[in-house]
Amino acid sequence: MDDIKWLQGKGKPGIKSFFQDILTRGLIDTVLMPAKNKKGNSYAWFLMNKDGFLETSDPIPPVMTIQGANILKNITKKGESWSKTAVVLRPCELRAVIELTKLEQINLENIILISFDCPGAYPLTQYISGDQTSLDQKYDSSLYTASFETERNACIMCDKFTGQGADIQLCFLGQSDDGFLISAASAKGKELLKDVNGTNEENLEIKTKKRDELLGQLQKEKNEKRQVILDRFKETIYGTDNLLNVFSACINCHNCRRACPICFCSECYFESKALYSEADNQLNRATRKNALRMPSDLLLFHLGRMNHMSISCVSCGACEDACPENIPVSLLFSLVSRDTQAVFNYDPGHSLEEPLPFVVYKNEELKEYEAHYTKRHQSACNCNTK
Amino acid sequence: MSDEKEFIPNIVYGLCAWCGTGGSETAAAHHLKYPENIKPFRVMCTGALDPVYILRALIEGADGFIVSGCHPGDCHYDSGNYRARRRIAALKSILNTLGLDSDRVWLRWVGHGEGQRLVDTAFEFNEHIKKLGPNPLKSRRDS
Amino acid sequence: MEKIYDSQMNVHDFIKAMFEKNIVSGLGALTQLPDNKGISYSLLSDGFDFQKCMPFYPVMPANAAIAVSKLTRETSPSSPIAVFLRPCELRALIELTKIKQARLDNLILISFDCSGVFPFKDGKYPTEDTLKRYDQSIKEAKINDTIRQVCKGCENYQPEGADIAISIIGRGVHESLALSFATEKGKSIQEKMGLTASEIQPSTIEQLTSDKKRNKQELFKNTQISNLDELLDVFDTCIACRACSYVCPICYCKNCYFDSQTFQYYPENYAQRLNKKNTLRLPLDRIFFHMGRLSHMGSSCVACGMCSDVCPVDIPVSEMFKAGGQNIQGVFNYQPGQNLDEPMPLVTYQEKELHEMED
Ligand code: SF4
Ligand code: SF4
Ligand code: SF4
Ligand code: SF4
Ligand code: SF4
Ligand code: FES
Repeated sequence: MDDIKWLQGKGKPGIKSFFQDILTRGLIDTVLMPAKNKKGNSYAWFLMNKDGFLETSDPIPPVMTIQGANILKNITKKGESWSKTAVVLRPCELRAVIELTKLEQINLENIILISFDCPGAYPLTQYISGDQTSLDQKYDSSLYTASFETERNACIMCDKFTGQGADIQLCFLGQSDDGFLISAASAKGKELLKDVNGTNEENLEIKTKKRDELLGQLQKEKNEKRQVILDRFKETIYGTDNLLNVFSACINCHNCRRACPICFCSECYFESKALYSEADNQLNRATRKNALRMPSDLLLFHLGRMNHMSISCVSCGACEDACPENIPVSLLFSLVSRDTQAVFNYDPGHSLEEPLPFVVYKNEELKEYEAHYTKRHQSACNCNTK
Repeated sequence: MSDEKEFIPNIVYGLCAWCGTGGSETAAAHHLKYPENIKPFRVMCTGALDPVYILRALIEGADGFIVSGCHPGDCHYDSGNYRARRRIAALKSILNTLGLDSDRVWLRWVGHGEGQRLVDTAFEFNEHIKKLGPNPLKSRRDS
Repeated sequence: MEKIYDSQMNVHDFIKAMFEKNIVSGLGALTQLPDNKGISYSLLSDGFDFQKCMPFYPVMPANAAIAVSKLTRETSPSSPIAVFLRPCELRALIELTKIKQARLDNLILISFDCSGVFPFKDGKYPTEDTLKRYDQSIKEAKINDTIRQVCKGCENYQPEGADIAISIIGRGVHESLALSFATEKGKSIQEKMGLTASEIQPSTIEQLTSDKKRNKQELFKNTQISNLDELLDVFDTCIACRACSYVCPICYCKNCYFDSQTFQYYPENYAQRLNKKNTLRLPLDRIFFHMGRLSHMGSSCVACGMCSDVCPVDIPVSEMFKAGGQNIQGVFNYQPGQNLDEPMPLVTYQEKELHEMED
């Protein structure tokens, strides 16, 4: 097997030393991954070369501060990377990177995407306001057993928690904590993996099998859980009353869209002049609706945003982490996107080759969304002008 | 007879500038009339109609929104109507998931010569929306 | 000191009277959402059930100056609209008017002496009990101990420049409204409503003001930043989401400079910086954004506290901007929102000034 290797190394330090190793040996020039912030009470993204590799870096941090796809977009939006750069991403960040690449916001030239079996993350506020040392410990000890429990909605129901689609995948599931599997899925990945010193070659098959078994079972469980959670959630938000109740504390701050990797527009429609209107017009609206909530167009923003991007929503939860009012934004967007994605049989972030639904069109499709002409209407003749 | 005032729905009819509008011109040439509460809204092509406008209409006062443009294969910008169909499919799916009456939005193709079909469609949709009743979204002050 | 009159009306009757006497055709105020599911600022027209208005409700879901700016930035209303604003919201509106982001024609500004608001976070409204204690503190002219930090240290809690000012502190929210009318607009409304009799004495607030002053000094001491290191520490958890600037009434720019092309670099720029430093924290310009924002709007910061409310990682942004803003305002001897005719320091320049800032 030339596309999978076993690497010895205990726990997180073991995983970290892999990156240290490929940097020092020049297999990559630069790495982009999270590390502890200055005070050590949160994480941040760092671009590091071999002389700048941080002791506190952590490829699998217990919290998602900024969606990684947004960071990679910052760097490569205007062109390709200057050096061979490995980028370590959570699976949902990876999927967002794939979507943004298709949307031409990210350039993957010279980039090696590395992802991993993700245990999930803590909700951002919970982590920041908690005791980080004990939270870290609890998190790190669950890496190999998939036993991490969280209150982060996106993670509770995440059924795409492996690095599928990355050039390199780090696999911990079902392994003992003294090492992990590295598998390469692309030419870029294989090229890198070939120079990585693996050990224990003879046990590889057993180890892989162990992971596959656990993975199969987990994926099934999590997928069922996802459907149940979304179905239940749907009942609570269904219909005008319920839906607007969900937004009763929403302050229309648009932070969800600024945190969302898929909402990449630098000029969002919902903040544009298109929604300016004259005072009298607004007073008319207030009269018509019996009052106008201000700042206005709150529901339009959420529904419109769903319309713009739910097809590519990767259920990463960044929106919910950034919401100051704890609105279940990612649940809502995951619920809606489950259906919009099904309309086009589209799986966002799955593959670069799968075209975005809004750029390919077919003559024969989606007839069920048309209102078919069946009958000549009785009132509609020129003798009846009612 | 009930004392209640008859419900006259507020309907917006999105027409592309070619076949959709053409259909209404043909209807006019034949002296065909459609209900006066239906307000035509012209866009260059159905593909240029961002569903956000449909949402905006539904939130701000419309009871229904119907879109007509060139038949598949006839779009004057080649594939605008396919794009429209995809976008409206997504919109209807969203409304459906959230329990917001996806049936208040219709898409039906109408050719330039099909004045009768346009008028039929207007009547049919009008009746359909009357049956559905007023759109609850439009009178929500917390939207 | 303007004279204060007892209106013999509660706030709802007062609002109704304004509509009945055709003084206004619209009203902006904090209002209950349907089924009392929450509170939001709303634009109301005649016929609304005004019992649902809660102008004194102690949360600020949005700085109301933003709502009023969105209402009037294109045109003024053709008939009068009254808007309830807290003093800091009123100051923000005055600042926005100076920079042509709002219009005051046909607006009637109603404000009141403010006892502060509770932080609005995680969608949590204050409990019944909290509200009761809050009302009590208003009656006693004391500072409630769970309102926001910036409110505890807010010395400008009395409205300046409002057409109608309501005095609540020392009286309570359920008493009949004590009104004063400082402007021409206000005086004509006073006349139309026939509120010229039963003058009342202002409450004693010296103690309250000095407590607030003390709180402010303490707050400044606690948030004081004396070097770069401390600055980095305060913003260490910042995720650069810009919520603080988006909800800031003074940060009105539709296209924020810090989101502009200027800060969207080519990969080569990253390469150069990385070469120099070997480690780069991303996104770049995170701290620069805060400093730049302070320099853009600090002279107009009204210390309304919105930015702290919305920060998802609980950085005390407004506490720092209040301090930073006051420093800048001190340099120019400028009081934001105090007076519409006072020019903004960064739009007026004088030859003979600020020599002490030169080297
Ligand atoms: S809501 Fe729409 S316009 Fe706004 S950023 Fe998202 S995709 Fe762009
Ligand atoms: S909507 Fe929320 S969950 Fe979906 S991609 Fe955007 S940030 Fe992630
Ligand atoms: S859902 Fe949350 S983040 Fe989004 S606009 Fe509302 S309050 Fe802001
Ligand atoms: S800062 Fe607080 S106390 Fe001061 S006016 Fe604003 S809300 Fe009131
Ligand atoms: S709201 Fe908080 S996290 Fe967001 S940019 Fe401002 S200080 Fe940073
Ligand atoms: S021009 Fe008629 S649908 Fe495109």
